[in-house]
Amino acid sequence: MSLLVCEGLTKNFDGVKALSSFSCAVKQGEIVGLIGPNGAGKTTLFNVLTGFIPAESGTVLFRGKEIIGKPAHKITRLGIARTFQILRLIKRLTVLDNSLLCYQHQPGERLGNVFFRSRQSARHEAANREKAAALIKQYGLGDKLHDLADALSYGQQKLLSLVCCLAAGADLILLDEPVAGIAPEMIEKILDVIKGLPAQGKTVILIEHNMDAISRVCDRVIFMDAGAKVCEGSVDDVRNDPRVIEAYLD
Amino acid sequence: MDYLLHILILIGIYVILSLSLNLIAGYTGILSIAHAAFYGVGAYVAALMALKLGTPFLANVICAIILSGLLGALVGIPSLRIRDDYFVIATFAFQVITFSVLNNWVSFTSGPMGLPGIPQPRIFGLQVSSHWQFLVLVGICAILVFLAARRIVESPFGRVLKAIREDEVFALAAGKNVAAYKVLVFVIGAAMASVAGALYATYITFIDPTSFTVMESIFIISIVIIGGAGNLWGSVLGAAVLVILPEALRFVGLPSSVAANVRQIIYGALLVAFMMWRPQGFIGEYTFRKGDQG
Amino acid sequence: MSQLIANALITAAIIALVAVGFQLIFQTARFFHFAHGVIITCGAYCAYWLTREGTPFTAALILSVLFCAALGSAIWVFTYRPLQARGAGPTILLLASLGSYIVIQNVISLWFGNDTKTIRQGVVHEGLEILGARITPVQALTMLTSAVLIVGLHFFLQKTRIGNAMRAVANDPELAMISGIDSNRVFIGTFAIGSALAGVAGILMALDIDMNPQMGMNALLMGVVAVIIGGVNSIPGVALGALLLGMAQNFGVWKISSQWQDAIAFIILLAFLLFRPQGFMGKKVKKATI
Repeated sequence: MSLLVCEGLTKNFDGVKALSSFSCAVKQGEIVGLIGPNGAGKTTLFNVLTGFIPAESGTVLFRGKEIIGKPAHKITRLGIARTFQILRLIKRLTVLDNSLLCYQHQPGERLGNVFFRSRQSARHEAANREKAAALIKQYGLGDKLHDLADALSYGQQKLLSLVCCLAAGADLILLDEPVAGIAPEMIEKILDVIKGLPAQGKTVILIEHNMDAISRVCDRVIFMDAGAKVCEGSVDDVRNDPRVIEAYLD
Repeated sequence: MDYLLHILILIGIYVILSLSLNLIAGYTGILSIAHAAFYGVGAYVAALMALKLGTPFLANVICAIILSGLLGALVGIPSLRIRDDYFVIATFAFQVITFSVLNNWVSFTSGPMGLPGIPQPRIFGLQVSSHWQFLVLVGICAILVFLAARRIVESPFGRVLKAIREDEVFALAAGKNVAAYKVLVFVIGAAMASVAGALYATYITFIDPTSFTVMESIFIISIVIIGGAGNLWGSVLGAAVLVILPEALRFVGLPSSVAANVRQIIYGALLVAFMMWRPQGFIGEYTFRKGDQG
Repeated sequence: MSQLIANALITAAIIALVAVGFQLIFQTARFFHFAHGVIITCGAYCAYWLTREGTPFTAALILSVLFCAALGSAIWVFTYRPLQARGAGPTILLLASLGSYIVIQNVISLWFGNDTKTIRQGVVHEGLEILGARITPVQALTMLTSAVLIVGLHFFLQKTRIGNAMRAVANDPELAMISGIDSNRVFIGTFAIGSALAGVAGILMALDIDMNPQMGMNALLMGVVAVIIGGVNSIPGVALGALLLGMAQNFGVWKISSQWQDAIAFIILLAFLLFRPQGFMGKKVKKATI
């Protein structure tokens, strides 16, 4: 059963076709790579899937339900989380607070509960705090728990933003260049984390230019160019596809 | 002695005003020049109800809170559609429009002539009229507002506010309904400011629109920034400093005709100075500097 | 009816003059320079002081305008430029601008007093009658001066080298710098010209209506509204915006009483901010980049 189905997604920006009738399907437990030259529309696709940009036409079904037109925060609550090409974190909050922020069930976030159900909110907060701490330790950032996110290395920050997606309880995780611009040891670490996600019931779509990383973790690859899907298949199949070679030579 | 009490009462009122604006500007990062409008609506609602309906103080305060809260929502909603630096102008607009209403709806508010003879509060049978009694009342309100603000900022709700301040897009991606939080924080800030308005109206027993102008809004945001945006004690400190400092001039022998102007020069200069050399104010956490985000 | 049109044009002339100067500075410096409002006041008060001290009228006017140009540039050099060097964003600059406004306005109040003053010369004219409307010589001068200066500014920006440099810095500061344009000079020039226009507006206002220390704030707020509804990048748009405001303030369609002018102007502003933030003639304003 497909977790995510996109059909005919189209989006224009000032006359440039960012997405051109894009369609794809992603199965539960897959790790799908999304590759293509700069400007191919990969990040635009993520923005449309997560509700940050409206599509002009097309549908997206997540677990069989239409999510086009839903606001970004609702899509996260439905179970899709993402990272950003230009890293986003709350630098002035601690590592712990950053992932705590992402938990979806927090009675303490409702103003009424802050004043009238404070004990219940406090209990949930304490429970979430434990879960968040355990999660952070599980992924090797335990010693940075109470440090400001600003104090982490770039690679650690990228790992943290991945951990935040897990904290959000997402089943579908969209990673935008998760290993770009970081040191090799950190690349290893993050790729290991990604590889382990299907075992936890997660599905991943990741955008990357690093073909080595793609071939290491992806079950399947989709190649995009000029807003359209050019081809898809195993890493080798796509790499050797004449259309892909031609697109990169252009 | 009465003079000292008067200063403390004023500090108390401004503590409430700056704490409430700090929630909006310092914790959520939304610069607003509309706060005197909420203050003014609170003052006028409390005054008009006391004068025309004779209702008890607490009932008046509750109505002031509700009406001011509604105005707060009205101001907060456009923040979702209007870009940050333009939104400040929108808050300016609300401030001027509110002042216009207070000043020109003469049949209802008496316009520029103001409302004299506002009855002093009577709470649970206790009459509040002396300076000491007012100090206790204002002190209790200020403490309650502080405790409420502290509970808010230390809660998960407060965490989301700070996230919105730092990176609104991240907050959205984390599943937070940013729009709702923004409107809510305006409602809370406005509601608290209206309490200060009700206290002011019943303390001075006379109000007119000139106490609730753009200049007053700028004064309140100056307190928040100089004291320290994003730090509740900063608002307390800022209120104390900015109320006491100009009053201290009286002791230097400054005639009262120039005192008002000198007072403004001081806080205007302080605002510029802090922006140049210490934008986080005395003990603040936030500098209105959009660092790495777009 | 034609009197209403005349009044609308006179109001629009002042607003447009203020707006165009403000817009010029906003385009280049990219923040809301509220202290522009107090420069307006300075123009009037400088002229007042000079004429009181015996300076011949025309000389006083010219010197006042020059003073405003200098003051505006000084604020840039001593306040905004150091802040920008430290990476201050538009919000911090706006706050510094507000602080500067407050300081300067109160200095004026201290020096000259809060009462209303006048620099009108001689008897109040009954005015000339043109096309059925009564316009005083000062009002005619206002409209003429405003039109000349605004058209002049438009051509200056389009045709002269300095004007082109200013537009280049406004459009793309980094590219301008790489092309060898001295952005420091451009900024000083921008503030000088914008502030000079403000000074002229202040003097014209004082000649027509009298002056008090708060006169600048109101004129500025109207100017800001005109800039936003006209489109931040377009002089014709701003002129149109000023015209709309002039009409809204003088025509009786909504008019309950003349005191509601401010509220009406700001309601119009809110409508534009909500539904057409780019103004009449501007390009689309983006909200946030992802």
